[in-house]
Amino acid sequence: MSKEKEKKNIALRLTNVSLSYRIIQPYSIKRNLLKLKGVKSDYFQALKNVNFELEEGKILGVIGSNGSGKSTLLKAIAGIFSPDEGTIELFNNTVSLQAIGVGFKSRLTGYENIYISGLLLGFSKSQIESKIDEIIEFSELGDFIYKPISTYSSGMVSKLAFSITAIFEADIILIDEILSVGDTSFREKSFNKIKEIIFDKTKTVIIVSHNMGQLKEVCDEVLWLEGGEVKDIGEPNKVISEYMAYISPKKK
Amino acid sequence: MLKFFENLKKYFFYSVYSAKSDLKSEVANSYLNWFWWILDPLAFTLIYIFIGKVVFKSAEDYFPAFVLIALTSWNFFNLMLSGSVKAIRDHKHITSKIYVPKYILLLQKSFVYLFKSLISYTLIFILLFILKVPITINILWFLPLLLLLYLISFGISLFLLHFGVYVEDLFNLTNITLKIVFYLTGIFYDIGSRVPAPFNKILLTCNPIAFIIDQMRNVMLYEKGLNIKYYLIWLAISIVLIITGIHIVQKHENSYAKIS
Repeated sequence: MSKEKEKKNIALRLTNVSLSYRIIQPYSIKRNLLKLKGVKSDYFQALKNVNFELEEGKILGVIGSNGSGKSTLLKAIAGIFSPDEGTIELFNNTVSLQAIGVGFKSRLTGYENIYISGLLLGFSKSQIESKIDEIIEFSELGDFIYKPISTYSSGMVSKLAFSITAIFEADIILIDEILSVGDTSFREKSFNKIKEIIFDKTKTVIIVSHNMGQLKEVCDEVLWLEGGEVKDIGEPNKVISEYMAYISPKKK
Repeated sequence: MLKFFENLKKYFFYSVYSAKSDLKSEVANSYLNWFWWILDPLAFTLIYIFIGKVVFKSAEDYFPAFVLIALTSWNFFNLMLSGSVKAIRDHKHITSKIYVPKYILLLQKSFVYLFKSLISYTLIFILLFILKVPITINILWFLPLLLLLYLISFGISLFLLHFGVYVEDLFNLTNITLKIVFYLTGIFYDIGSRVPAPFNKILLTCNPIAFIIDQMRNVMLYEKGLNIKYYLIWLAISIVLIITGIHIVQKHENSYAKIS
């Protein structure tokens, strides 16, 4: 397939996406009956009118200061939150948010947890069976895989979690900060695995990161979010230097 | 509703696998292992036999089976309802990271409870044999009654699942309500003969769980048939509850994660 043809495939399109959180205390019958205080209802607009589209195989970096809506954006694309307004089109691509420990149940064994995570991520039984050995091998857990997660060290849990999300790949991969987990050798291995996923031409990737050097290196495009709004989107070097210029006077 | 069946197909295996793992992990490290699933209903039956026979001197026929039928059905209903209120909050580790249809969480739990109930029901059938209860063809009505029990519990649970997200103390309210309903269900007495005239009829028609238990006793112990008219009414109500419940949950489920 020629590259020109591939480029025309839009993998993801966001149109006028706005999303607000309701910062409410859940309604309480007791509180209301006693009329101690009314139900507080506060809206926090996390995303305002976000528009962009991403071609298949592209890598988009998302930057912005803390609380600018980066993680919310990923969660909206992953389908965890629905936008209040606007649409997110996925064109039948599967999406996965690289999340640590999707629904781990600590009393179950690592093996069972791989199964459950895979099923939750929407893979079929046979797909999981074909990948499970690779995951076990990648996680370097050995016989521990047949022991309950509660017996694992925290490093082992994150190794397993990483292996699961890295090997069950979706078409669109959302990465919230490139994670480094485990001991030094595993960290190197996991970083290489992420690179491998990112540079896979069939995968569309969105990375949220504060590591500008990393983003310049890997991204085709960078999106700058500020206060839930898109400040700029485009060529990485240009957007990142604009962003740096924007935040540097604040630092001084 | 179409989406519901698609998701049901997609996540059915997850629900079964996850329920199986839950059950396994529940007993994996205990000394008596899966004996607990049998010991638990057995112990409660003994307690209620003691209360019924010794303390209150009640004289319902086949009392152990009489109580165990009620207790098993009640436990399923009770666990489903009280479990569903906190279901979203209890699964925050999943729902904040990945999209999963929220009623699937309920389905998965229901399989765990259903499995435990089935062990208990099996125990009842053994008990029928021991107590030399005359078995008639009517006993086959047990299966449709079990189906109704499942559907009505699932239907009500969907609503509790939804409102449990928004109403903080719904859990407490549900538990109190369930306790009241427990005593209005005739677990260790017969509503028909022990509750004075207009009220026994009202209870047996308006309290679905009392109706189901009463009917189960009739078909399993007392060689009677099923009250088909009320059965169909409650079946229709359950289906309406499930359809509206699914609709509400589907409409709002993506806002659940936003509520802190």
